Amino acid sequence: MRFQDAARDARAVVYAGVQADPLVAQAAELLAGASLGGRTLARAVMNGGSADPDAWRTMFPSLFEGPAAGASGAILAVALRVAALGDDVRSQVRGAIVEALTERLLARRAPGAIRRERRILFDGVTAEIHPYDVTVERPGAAEAYDCKWGARGIGPEVLLQLDVARGNAIAEGERLTVALVVFDARRSCAARLARLSRPSGPVGLVTLESLDRLAGAPAVARPG
Amino acid sequence: MAALTVRDLVERVLAGHAALAAVGEGVADEWQYVADLGAVWSARLRDVAATRGTESVSSTTAAAVHRLVAETQAIDDPHRAIDWLSTLPAAALLALGEAP
Repeated sequence: MRFQDAARDARAVVYAGVQADPLVAQAAELLAGASLGGRTLARAVMNGGSADPDAWRTMFPSLFEGPAAGASGAILAVALRVAALGDDVRSQVRGAIVEALTERLLARRAPGAIRRERRILFDGVTAEIHPYDVTVERPGAAEAYDCKWGARGIGPEVLLQLDVARGNAIAEGERLTVALVVFDARRSCAARLARLSRPSGPVGLVTLESLDRLAGAPAVARPG
Repeated sequence: MAALTVRDLVERVLAGHAALAAVGEGVADEWQYVADLGAVWSARLRDVAATRGTESVSSTTAAAVHRLVAETQAIDDPHRAIDWLSTLPAAALLALGEAP
């Protein structure tokens, strides 16, 4: 098993520009330190809607009381900037934010081992075209993550790719932890997954409620 | 006027959620997912109403839930409605002091 940079095709070049947007880094940094409430606020605002900050303060009153008010205000300000983007750009930026957030949380646990947009190659196996959004590349303890803004982004092909990669790693005597990171509620993800075929082995699920686990231990459990 | 209760607010969210689902059903390929979201979140919200339904809520909490539902009432794009089918109940539960 070995890792390789994804091909720099036209899509990758355009998306790299989105990933490099300072707004993405700013949002990811704030969300890495946010509570579940702060992350839910960000998701709500970035869904697109009211541009009035006071409306959001009314909707999430507890976030704007006490010592957390400053951090919540910063999240709200960044989220409103994302929400103000056109639909297509906003969608790309939101995805890039989830990837950058995942990268930051993983880096707390495995500094120096985190890579982005990587393919995983196995001997005698045709390589997948779609790269993994975030990887942890450590001998004997590699991890691969596919990141989604919402549970709706979970599909059979995504699960299959992660599952097959994990199986191919086992066939080579390697260990590869694979997981989905979804910036959405666990309950919605579970509803989505319930209609899909179960993977042959463990494919982890990290949701809004459990993002901080990325900084603590590899995500291996699939929801029941 | 009697103080609002948790059940009152849950009923408000359920009505808002159902209206959102009607918009989200505009994405034909996601009809099942929309239905599933309606089922799982309704069940969670009704659980809260069953256990805390008679509890009075503060004016701040009531305003939060009413504003959340109002936010979704302006949505006419089915894709955005699907995004909110997950977010509305999660945010409303947080406003009620509950885990999503």
